[in-house]
Amino acid sequence: MISPESPAESPDVSPAEVLAAPTPPALCTRRQFLQTTAVAGAALMLAKPGRALANAMSSTELRIALIGIGAQGRVLMDAVLKIPGIRFVAVCDIWSYNLQYGEKYLKKNGHPVKAYTDIEEMLGKEKDLHAALVATPDFWHAPHTIACLRAGLHVYCEKMMSHTIEGARSMVKAMRETGKLLQIGHQRRSNPRYIVALERLIKEAKLLGQITAANGQWNRAVSKDLGWPPKYALPADVLSKYGYESMNHFRNWRWFKKYGGGPLSDLGAHQIDIFTWFFGAPPKSILAGGGMDYYKGHEWFDNVMVIYEYATPEGTARAFYQVQTTTSAGGGYFEQFMGTEGTIKMSENPNYTSIFREANAPEWEQWVAKRYLALTKATAAAPEADSTATKVDARETAELVSYGLPVVLNKAIHQPHLENFFNSIHGKAKLNCSGDEAFVSEYAIHRTGDAIDAKQMIHITPDDYKV
Amino acid sequence: MKTPDPATISSIQSPATDTSGMSLAFLVLRGWLGIRALVTGIEKFSAKIMVQQPLLNADGTPDASGAIVEIESKVYGFTHYHALPASLQQKFADEPLLLSWLTGPFYTILGYVLVALGLALLLGLFTRATLVGMGILYMVLTVGLILIGQDGGVAYLGIHIGLVAMALALVQHNRFTITRS
Repeated sequence: MISPESPAESPDVSPAEVLAAPTPPALCTRRQFLQTTAVAGAALMLAKPGRALANAMSSTELRIALIGIGAQGRVLMDAVLKIPGIRFVAVCDIWSYNLQYGEKYLKKNGHPVKAYTDIEEMLGKEKDLHAALVATPDFWHAPHTIACLRAGLHVYCEKMMSHTIEGARSMVKAMRETGKLLQIGHQRRSNPRYIVALERLIKEAKLLGQITAANGQWNRAVSKDLGWPPKYALPADVLSKYGYESMNHFRNWRWFKKYGGGPLSDLGAHQIDIFTWFFGAPPKSILAGGGMDYYKGHEWFDNVMVIYEYATPEGTARAFYQVQTTTSAGGGYFEQFMGTEGTIKMSENPNYTSIFREANAPEWEQWVAKRYLALTKATAAAPEADSTATKVDARETAELVSYGLPVVLNKAIHQPHLENFFNSIHGKAKLNCSGDEAFVSEYAIHRTGDAIDAKQMIHITPDDYKV
Repeated sequence: MKTPDPATISSIQSPATDTSGMSLAFLVLRGWLGIRALVTGIEKFSAKIMVQQPLLNADGTPDASGAIVEIESKVYGFTHYHALPASLQQKFADEPLLLSWLTGPFYTILGYVLVALGLALLLGLFTRATLVGMGILYMVLTVGLILIGQDGGVAYLGIHIGLVAMALALVQHNRFTITRS
């Protein structure tokens, strides 16, 4: 049986190398892999995958399996159904409640699938799969991902990669060993709004000047624990077989340390990943505080405040991040990068997105003309730079002029990331968040818990990010 | 030095014989009132919509990320017809003296009437009657603005009424028309 601990070995690679390294190229299906191996030898193929194979894949319908049909699995399922050329052929979930839902839903949408409660059985029987989507609880990510990779499948795995650093590391090693693609579900990395913000506004137009600070947050109102229909309660032996203490733990695994990483991991991981991506470097130190101050019967912090320090090419930058699960106040969820000439406040929700120009920055008309920026009502309403009308203190800086980001995402928010994964399998794209890149980003998130426990700043060396 | 002929001096200085200036004055006034009505009417068939197009590189090729930008664009068409801004229309709807069985048809024809009046003035079609019709229209609009307390708008329409009245006073100098009246 697959267990939650599946370590693997692989040479060390530095975070800088990871960020610069090309993604493993797309290969082929298990069946094609085996056929080709018989002719040419697996080692040669893994080392130098032929262009012909990638081209052959480009016209093939991809056959995929969905492992885990909970809330996130359903989000992925809906997004994939909008992508042409992808066919669900199998679903897997230990809970019949989820499994029946997935099977019926996919059949209704023209994807009749085989349903499995055991992933090993699925991998043993489904011989012509190209890829798997893993959306199980965090502590199952590593074993499920590694099993799929070793079965010859490309894998799209939800973040966090694992509930432990070693689990995440083992996934990267398995990815390298098998030569298969491993995309981690930090979906903002494929969102054109974020790509344009980084590549066009920050790197090309240099609208922010030197970025000295960032802040981000995800504040969410109090929520109740998830329940379950009594008739669908899993038997104790099944729960135990899959590592759960109880049905409550099974449903609310995110709050318990042996299954997941808590709100900082569930919500914050997406945004702390954006810090690493935009700064081009992972944190070098972490100072954090947090606690289990409201909820009873949980293990993970229900509120966390962190300061990450980054060594960017332009100098040191610091980022403040907070996640609150007891209040939705504070302006929703966003990641904000503040520079000497401007600020970009990004969010998956366009309503929370704005770009601000400092009064002393060069004019931005040319970027409006190029459609990098949009004039908004707020732009028109901005006071003159030397206006004192809104100031109450002589030391105040003038109110910033606000612009909009005209880029729109007219798809489900996970769809571009999934498309990037499938296009990479076809050899038409490079993964936007491969396993090794995600590891560098997620490592610091795991270490934030250590910083909270230590009640002091912890430092991370480049070697720590190596796999 | 040759002394000017007294008859010539008299013809230059006498206002009674200078009708070309009055004709030009009326022509300018007619033109302004016509354009004011025509363009205002056409604008009631306009709308601002968001148009999506690929973000382009400097060489005109689409951005590699596939980014789509949304740009506000102004378009015209019968389907975009709106007599008044929704907020203003709501204020009129809340006025008990503005009966819906009257305002409804009025909203339906307002844009078309403005276009027709504007075109008629510019082309010189039934100029006197057109000016009278325009005056009545501005008076009707004034009623609504008085009721909702838009004194600035009332004064603004008052200027229009003054110009229409002036045009009616000068209409005898009308030139360049299709119809004589």
